[in-house]
Amino acid sequence: MAEEQRPQGGSSYGGPPRREGGQGRPSGPGGPGGPRKGKRQFFRKKKVCRFCVDRVDFIDFKKVEMLQPFIQDRGKILPRRMTGTCSRHQRWLGEAIKRARNIALLPFATGM
Amino acid sequence: MEERLYDLIFICRPATPEEEVAKTITALEHACAEKGGKVEKLEKWGTRKMAYRVAKHREGYYVYLQIKSTQGELIRELERRLAVSDAVIKYLTVRLDEELKRQQKFQHKRDRKAARRPRKPAAGAAPSAEHAAAQG
Repeated sequence: MAEEQRPQGGSSYGGPPRREGGQGRPSGPGGPGGPRKGKRQFFRKKKVCRFCVDRVDFIDFKKVEMLQPFIQDRGKILPRRMTGTCSRHQRWLGEAIKRARNIALLPFATGM
Repeated sequence: MEERLYDLIFICRPATPEEEVAKTITALEHACAEKGGKVEKLEKWGTRKMAYRVAKHREGYYVYLQIKSTQGELIRELERRLAVSDAVIKYLTVRLDEELKRQQKFQHKRDRKAARRPRKPAAGAAPSAEHAAAQG
């Protein structure tokens, strides 16, 4: 869940320097700094790459029903954060979807 | 040059008579044979709905060919023929062998890993295999 951590990390860097008490650790890479109070924390179930689970080594652009769950109604490719696909498989998936689009198996965009 | 594997899909107009499609396919096969290629697979997917309009048609007759060839020239010739043909409204050629090679590589890696795991507690051959994997 890197996307949830990033905004928090950004605020701790960009915000005013929090220094409670006279601790002698001015600017070391102290890490996230323990539990944050007053911040909302989301605990989401970690999604697993479906292709990794199924041990897929090659995503075939001809198998439309395999690609269908990874596109939106409008024909857009779903982002990784929605599907939990790992980066390698997302790359292959994107390639396969684009090929399928080229031969009219999948839409580029579906008009309303 | 090493042998390459291609996927070739083309779409005919839905109103094309069956003989015309067959003629196009045989013409492609002939062209293949001339250049020393080989048609590995031939599938007629039949008329199916296309995801978007092509040449004012919503449906198309899909034909799928898998071709093995050592000459890239062949693909140019095939695509030229498809482009000239009136019945064909869309075509796509994709080179597949590199991806299949990659697939085999992963498969091989996994097989080796799977073979190593159960052997580990029993035989003494396991550490050497692990060593090789770490290096390679």
